[in-house]
Amino acid sequence: MGEEKKRTAREIIENYDGPAVRIMEVCGTHTHEIFRLGIRKLLPPQVELISGPGCPVCVTPVGFIDEAVWLALEKGVTICTFGDLVRVPGTKMSLAGAREKGAKIRIVYSPADAEKYALEHPEEQVVFLSVGFETTTPAECLSVKQAKKDGLSNYSLLMANKTMPQAYEALKGSADVFLYPGHVNAITGTELCEDLVNEGVSGVVAGFTAKELLTALAVSLVKFQEGKPFFVNCYPRVVKPEGSREAQQLTDEMTEACDSEWRGLGVIQKSGVQLKEEWSTFDARKKYAIPPIQGKANPACRCGDVLQGKCKPSDCKVFGKGCTPQHPIGACMVSNEGACSAYYAYGDCK
Amino acid sequence: MSTLKDKTVTMAHGAGGRQTSELIDRIFAAHFANPDLTADDAAVLTPPTGKMAVSTDGFIVSPAFFPGGNIGKLSICGTVNDLACMGAKPLYLTCAFVIEEGFSMEKLEEIVATMEKTASEAGVHIVSGDTKVAGKGQVDGVFITTTGMGQIEEGVRVGGTLAQPGDAIIVTGDVGRHGCTILLAREDFGIEADVTSDCAPLWNTVEAVMNTTHNLHVIRDATRGGVGTVLYEIAGQSNVGIRLDAAAVPVAPEVKGVCGMLGLEPLYLACEGRMVIMAPKSEAEKIVETLRQCPYSKDAAIIGEVTADQPGKVVMTTEIGTQALLPQPGGELLPRIC
Amino acid sequence: MCVGLSAKVVKISEGTAVVDAGGAKREVSAQLLEDLEPGDYVMVHAGVAIAKITDEDEDETDHLMEELL
Repeated sequence: MGEEKKRTAREIIENYDGPAVRIMEVCGTHTHEIFRLGIRKLLPPQVELISGPGCPVCVTPVGFIDEAVWLALEKGVTICTFGDLVRVPGTKMSLAGAREKGAKIRIVYSPADAEKYALEHPEEQVVFLSVGFETTTPAECLSVKQAKKDGLSNYSLLMANKTMPQAYEALKGSADVFLYPGHVNAITGTELCEDLVNEGVSGVVAGFTAKELLTALAVSLVKFQEGKPFFVNCYPRVVKPEGSREAQQLTDEMTEACDSEWRGLGVIQKSGVQLKEEWSTFDARKKYAIPPIQGKANPACRCGDVLQGKCKPSDCKVFGKGCTPQHPIGACMVSNEGACSAYYAYGDCK
Repeated sequence: MSTLKDKTVTMAHGAGGRQTSELIDRIFAAHFANPDLTADDAAVLTPPTGKMAVSTDGFIVSPAFFPGGNIGKLSICGTVNDLACMGAKPLYLTCAFVIEEGFSMEKLEEIVATMEKTASEAGVHIVSGDTKVAGKGQVDGVFITTTGMGQIEEGVRVGGTLAQPGDAIIVTGDVGRHGCTILLAREDFGIEADVTSDCAPLWNTVEAVMNTTHNLHVIRDATRGGVGTVLYEIAGQSNVGIRLDAAAVPVAPEVKGVCGMLGLEPLYLACEGRMVIMAPKSEAEKIVETLRQCPYSKDAAIIGEVTADQPGKVVMTTEIGTQALLPQPGGELLPRIC
Repeated sequence: MCVGLSAKVVKISEGTAVVDAGGAKREVSAQLLEDLEPGDYVMVHAGVAIAKITDEDEDETDHLMEELL
């Protein structure tokens, strides 16, 4: 259209000759898609992609699995969960292991399906394993609201929900540019990202198609070369600056912040979410008086360092040896979106 | 004679007495009747000339009835297709049933009738069978094991170790339909889509291909684990690399949609009526042309080629033209949110 | 961290929507979005429509690249 030929996003990426730059894809779905699309193969050597902590399964601590296993085996509750969590190792066993011992584990697509199952099976106690970031929490809140409406006393959440802002604080300095998780920003909006610019933190909100990812990376590289901290929303068809007011109101109404343990990052204050007192009958920890459980991760596993971008999966001693997708030791090898799983699956990539 | 309606299979039907005979006469013998079917302890058959292929397979599927078929059709297709993959014309089949106490007689008859229909389409005679009844809860409905015997066509030598660099890779139709159908039929995920199983007997298809050319290296049916698993198996067995063109792999839009919702890869969903064929490139067009004339392979397509580099790996050409490994087949398919 | 699926709204009723992705249909919650109409596109995550969207990534990326260069 213009007289001179415009450079495409891909050309910008392939021909980048600026200074070395470390870009962290915060979101596990980004990690996965970037590998799947072979985008890493386009990057010149001085552009390094780091896989961040944005996979709810990967940051869920071992103790959470132990709690779920305890509920299933000791209390005989029916566990409903997203599929990703089933094979994550606990201290003694995974949920798949508990299933072999007779635990009732159901994989669902949505928390709403877990609530519906509870409605249809009044003789069973149903616990949904509530993990996820700002994107997923509203779905879980909605299921509790529905349970209240349906008058259910056999449905509750075991929560390990987390929020991103405190994690960004913990990750500051791990990368030069953050690829922000598009679907979290769809809920939260972009205010925080814009504020982070004032603290010298650069980033772009990225979408998930090949075009969107290439564009987000190209924008990152061009802006990075300009030398000033920046923020660009590269996913405006989904992410509005104000985010989703309805979702924000819902979570504000039903939940409050709590301290939360992140695998690899430790306990981050106020980075977790729990149901407020008035909803506590739907909080499985309170309902079943779950005893404090201190999960023990396999000490050889370096998932923690991987999540912080301190090491690559292949730097871990057990990677690909003791730890494979078939026999995972750490959560990052279990989840499709975990950095270890992606490195293993797409093994020939840099 | 009373009707089968509302009748169920009882432990007595498996006890070997009068009721067992009744079950056999009214359901199995009535449908499977053919000159080779035995009422004695073993079928007596005339061996084929040349080489013979034998294959056995157990079938459990929940639910037993699904759009596009049932466990009976599956139990014939699975074994007939395994024989066909060795270039063998299916001749004889035996079948063993384990039936759960309380299983509907009418449903059992429907399964058996489907088996007969599928067997006759595949040109195979059911020659011997066995029935056991298991207590309630010990099996899920009905389990069927079939064993097939076939005669290998002369001049044909195919097998998983025979893929060669330069071979074209052909798939005989769109992938993942059976796995997707079962996933939806279980109704665990609240998803609706107009998808029917691809379950089909493929001997006639393979025969048509072999009549087109004998210059074939690998024929394998993509069942459990799907086309992706087959490609990795052959890459390993033949110690070759496989280059796949992601865009060329036929996938029904509904299957794509379901996979999108659940975060699954269609290449790893089961098929029950799809073959992967590897043959020299010079033969590929001819083979595809033949396949497209056959009823179960109208959407046959060339999806990639065998290479000498990266032996043991399956590499995809992605939508942006880069190369990325197809992730190795994992264990259980688990829908994911993240 | 959050798999999203863009899908077309085909039916709306009290707080729920039926969405269609390539012929795969599923009921999802529409409680987070006001004024949804059949024909709209939404981003779906874990059974909830989280954002109303345009279905095309083309315009978006073209526009961004234009601004950038």
